[in-house]
Amino acid sequence: MRGIDKDRPSPEWIAELRKRFPVEREIDRVLTRKMQRRSGPPYSPVPLEKLVEGTTSLLRACNIGTFDIAQPRWLSGGASKLQMAFTLKWDRPGAGRAETPMVLRMEPAESIVETSRLREFQLIRAFEGTVPVPPVYWCDAEGEHLPYPALVYGFAEGVAKPTAAQAGVSGLGTHLPPELRARLAPQFVDYLARIHTFDYRKADLSAFDVPAADSTQCAEWGVNWWERVFEEDGDEDVPLMRLGAAWLRSHLPVLDKPSVVHADYRLGNFLFTEHDARISAWLDWELGRVGDRHQDIAWTTSRAFGHLAEDGKTFLTCGLMPENQFIEAYEKASGLCIDPKVVHWYKVYNDYMMGTLLYATSYRIAHGGKTHQDVLITWLMGIGGMLLEEMRTLIEEAP
Amino acid sequence: MQTRPDLQIKSILKAMTDVVLPAVDPDNKLAQEQARLCMGLLGLMARQLPLQFRFDCDELARLSAYSAELQRIAGDGGAQTRAAITSLEKTAAEASALLERAKAAPVEIEMAVRSMREATGSVISSVFRDGDAAAQDRVQKATLAMSKEQLLRERAWVITQGWEPDPKSVPPIEELLG
Repeated sequence: MRGIDKDRPSPEWIAELRKRFPVEREIDRVLTRKMQRRSGPPYSPVPLEKLVEGTTSLLRACNIGTFDIAQPRWLSGGASKLQMAFTLKWDRPGAGRAETPMVLRMEPAESIVETSRLREFQLIRAFEGTVPVPPVYWCDAEGEHLPYPALVYGFAEGVAKPTAAQAGVSGLGTHLPPELRARLAPQFVDYLARIHTFDYRKADLSAFDVPAADSTQCAEWGVNWWERVFEEDGDEDVPLMRLGAAWLRSHLPVLDKPSVVHADYRLGNFLFTEHDARISAWLDWELGRVGDRHQDIAWTTSRAFGHLAEDGKTFLTCGLMPENQFIEAYEKASGLCIDPKVVHWYKVYNDYMMGTLLYATSYRIAHGGKTHQDVLITWLMGIGGMLLEEMRTLIEEAP
Repeated sequence: MQTRPDLQIKSILKAMTDVVLPAVDPDNKLAQEQARLCMGLLGLMARQLPLQFRFDCDELARLSAYSAELQRIAGDGGAQTRAAITSLEKTAAEASALLERAKAAPVEIEMAVRSMREATGSVISSVFRDGDAAAQDRVQKATLAMSKEQLLRERAWVITQGWEPDPKSVPPIEELLG
């Protein structure tokens, strides 16, 4: 890594990485844009007035008639994007004059995970009516109206954790009481099954490339994506990450059936209404892709997203149910089988991705002052050791 | 290992400047003053931390030279002086020996760690590109074994953050560092 100034990457080096690590076209576009802009200024606080101004410009361009943006305010939550809540007073199609609570979700100068707003927009639109999602209205994919690319969502009701519960940032470390998890767990499984059995060919998902079935292309695109990001962002080398990439490449699984993959399906990324314990919205679709369902199965069972049950022995997947029960219920709900060997590969893959975000990207963006919450990013770096230990053990115990 | 104080302090200062300080009640003069003092002290720490070890070594070297001079000029004096000089001779000898061992600055160690990470990482990638299966297997085993020990320390380093589902399984960092 010596000799390359990653804070001011040269066009030649960017081109070399693009060539070395082929990925989906939209992913390539987003990563290339990140590198081309890296030498630009750090993130500086954006006043609410500027966000209101940009949102106004976006809505005017979308020709929604007369409107007024009222009660703009900051929202916390999430480690990657800025969020502003507001009320839109407008002529809602089919409903007449309305006051609709909304959320603007905008990227900072660089994010802990660099993704496409267009993909997020298309994916949520595609799943309206299939799983509960917040309504998504408008997309400023290139930051033409706002300081950075952004989406405007409808405000979804519900909470990400029980009001009385303790939790860490991004919903990590949330503990659910047994009676609540008994009610949420079946919904959690059912919605994952619906996502994986969704017919993506009927939806407008033009920002996604579909990997070939009966080939290793899906897995290879994935490894290329995160190894490229590690190269782009990493400061200090990590021998285990080198081994991780090499191990993944030498064990690439064959994709049997392409499915939409949420890629961040876990406790903390859905809202539920407390009075009836009903899941009301699935959030954070930004890493979604058309890929291998085993990626989601592996992700939800990560040690980072669960905790031990009251007996102090049973590890609960996403704090909801033991892993074997989760897999069994999923197979029944989806009619899809789960290959433990492929799950194992995707567990290594997911940890490799997290290792990349925590050991490489987090450092790079906090060092460059690129986000609205570098202090949170720096805090999150602490979880990297635990996740890499998980990856290390998985490689050691690989079937 | 990148969870180092320099990055942490930089992030804290940015949060204080961009978010926290503008939100502190302008009429609460004590809170305003103490928020600024916190930032000032953090800025001072950021400058001092990389130099702390050199500062201490520099002082110890000066004190060693000074103690040699004191031994030379203090004269025989009375019993109290002789006892103090004897004690100083012993302490100065220990300090000199210690100073002799402290030849490398922490930043040099950090740079050497980075170089070794890169050089060993390059060997791993190369072996998996053009090495034979037996060599790959040996390199994998060695990397997993080395990483196990390193990661245990990295997890212990941040144990108070509360990420570990079973924190008791991670020994205290003081114990691991020997």
